[in-house]
Amino acid sequence: MVTTSSLVSPSTAEHTAMGVVLDLIEGIGRVPTGGTVTVGFGHAHRVAALDLVEAWCAATGNEIAVAAQLTVTVRHGRAPDPLAQLDPAQRPGARVWVYTNFDCNLACDYCCVRSSPKAARRAIGADRLQQIASEAADADVSELILTGGEPFLLNDLDDLVNSCTDRLPTTLLTNGMLFRGTRLERLRRMDRSRLTLQVSVDSATPAIHDSHRGTGSWAKAVNGIRIAHEEGFRVKVAATLPADQMHELDPFHVFLDTLAISREDQVIRALAHRGVSDSGIELTVNSLIPEVTITADGVYWHPVAADHDDQFVTRDIFPLADAIAEITRRFVAHRRAADSAAEWFPCA
Amino acid sequence: MTTPLVIGSVAYSPNVIPIWEGLRDYFAETTTPIDFVLFSNYGRQVDALISGTLDLAWNTNLAWVRTVAQTDDACRALASRDTDLNFKTVFVARTGSGFTSLQSLQGRRLVLGSRDSAQAAILPVHFLREAGLSEGDIRITRIDSDVGKHGDTGRSELDALRAVLDDRADAAAIGINTWNAIGRGELLPGAFESFWTSPEYSHCTFTAMPSLAIERADPWVANLLAMDWKNPQHRPIMEMEGLQAWVPPRLEGYASLVAAVSEQRIAPRW
Ligand code: SF4
Repeated sequence: MVTTSSLVSPSTAEHTAMGVVLDLIEGIGRVPTGGTVTVGFGHAHRVAALDLVEAWCAATGNEIAVAAQLTVTVRHGRAPDPLAQLDPAQRPGARVWVYTNFDCNLACDYCCVRSSPKAARRAIGADRLQQIASEAADADVSELILTGGEPFLLNDLDDLVNSCTDRLPTTLLTNGMLFRGTRLERLRRMDRSRLTLQVSVDSATPAIHDSHRGTGSWAKAVNGIRIAHEEGFRVKVAATLPADQMHELDPFHVFLDTLAISREDQVIRALAHRGVSDSGIELTVNSLIPEVTITADGVYWHPVAADHDDQFVTRDIFPLADAIAEITRRFVAHRRAADSAAEWFPCA
Repeated sequence: MTTPLVIGSVAYSPNVIPIWEGLRDYFAETTTPIDFVLFSNYGRQVDALISGTLDLAWNTNLAWVRTVAQTDDACRALASRDTDLNFKTVFVARTGSGFTSLQSLQGRRLVLGSRDSAQAAILPVHFLREAGLSEGDIRITRIDSDVGKHGDTGRSELDALRAVLDDRADAAAIGINTWNAIGRGELLPGAFESFWTSPEYSHCTFTAMPSLAIERADPWVANLLAMDWKNPQHRPIMEMEGLQAWVPPRLEGYASLVAAVSEQRIAPRW
């Protein structure tokens, strides 16, 4: 015969922790999947309560959204995986951008990295680029994109590019104005089967392009496209347009058609408020899907901000896989925080 | 256009709406479209089924047994969740309480869930009787915190567990789903342990009146059973509804509840 006096004395921490879980189960049952529930606990039992809530979440397919001092907020079900929502081509590390150098023969008024003939070179250098290409290939990166500055200012650009194309398909961004003499010879030594050139042209006629990039620059860029085609390279054209011109795209596409640029290679991007540009769309780590970007100074969130501290990620370029993992981790954290912020401040 | 089958369900949680909208979308792509009506309690739902407002009702085991009683066995059970075929009641106490069997509850304080919950009230009393105990042998407390929903919200079971934690009771009878939800005593071994688990019984089932023609019912059941856990479109609905497969009902699994309802003279309607 068992009597009431045989009851073991209650263990307070376990008692409190289990009470928190009972509150959670009840609360979770009252909100739809995706909703959150906040339960409180005493300071003395914080560790035991959080441990148990964590174990309970793992066992039941729910998720801690926020663990605060005296409360824990739990999501009914798990938040959707931000990475799974991305197009595979947008996954951080699907492509890697490398700034080969920051100096440029032009000084465009919208340059996002403040390049000009006076800008310090800050070259990535042959050794580092070779290691980047090699580690990128090992890290499932599918493409390298080289940019600057103007890469054709570098005397070893052919070697640099070939060290990339040896490992991965590569795109080289250029203003297309320097395909003469020894620089043309360097272009000729690059691998046509693995390299795409991307030339900047902003308008179908010289006026707009030249107003941002300098008198005579449009004609030289268009001539550069012709030379690159003659040399057997695939050429993409990227245009940077202010928002108020984004509706006038048809004549521009027709013009690019006449240059034999295929429609899939006609890239139109909006002007970003970065670098020396005094207008354009605001881009922050919260609003930008990252594009792993490497400069001589380290790893950045996105090429549009490769000269801006707010998007600096780490000084350590190597191991490249770690840099990609860090950017991925931050992206997931930003998206999760944005999702919970959206829940906390619903717009009526 | 095919007239949709109208199905009743009790709104025991906010997820009931996405579940039924998901089911409605699924059936819209089949030969047997559906619409749904939500009720606040099973009493009203069974009334609506019997009066012909509904073609089908998603009933708990108690709602099924009561529909059987009110229709003189004429109603039919069409399908259940896989998890409905092996439901159990678990008697739990604080770890180390020393209970070894139902008999060891004699003279002790047992807390039960809402009086219309098969798993947390009606069947526990039946199992105690089968073990030779009468209600007078045990100090029973009832927590009627979700009456009308037949224990579906789980709230009265959680309240019963709180009563045990707070030393207002020595043991509680809860459904296996609630026992699983608190981690079966494995998450926090120092808190609860189970000391008796009942034989399996059947829980929810889709109930139809004889007026629903077989030619309409059978293709609908076939489409329901065709829902596939591995299909990413079906899976979220099945996860929310707590099943991995829809299955034919197991009618013999209602025998214990039929006996309990008759022994306890359960009122015909709440
Ligand atoms: S936008 Fe390009 S071409 Fe113009 S200054 Fe910057 S790097 Fe040079």
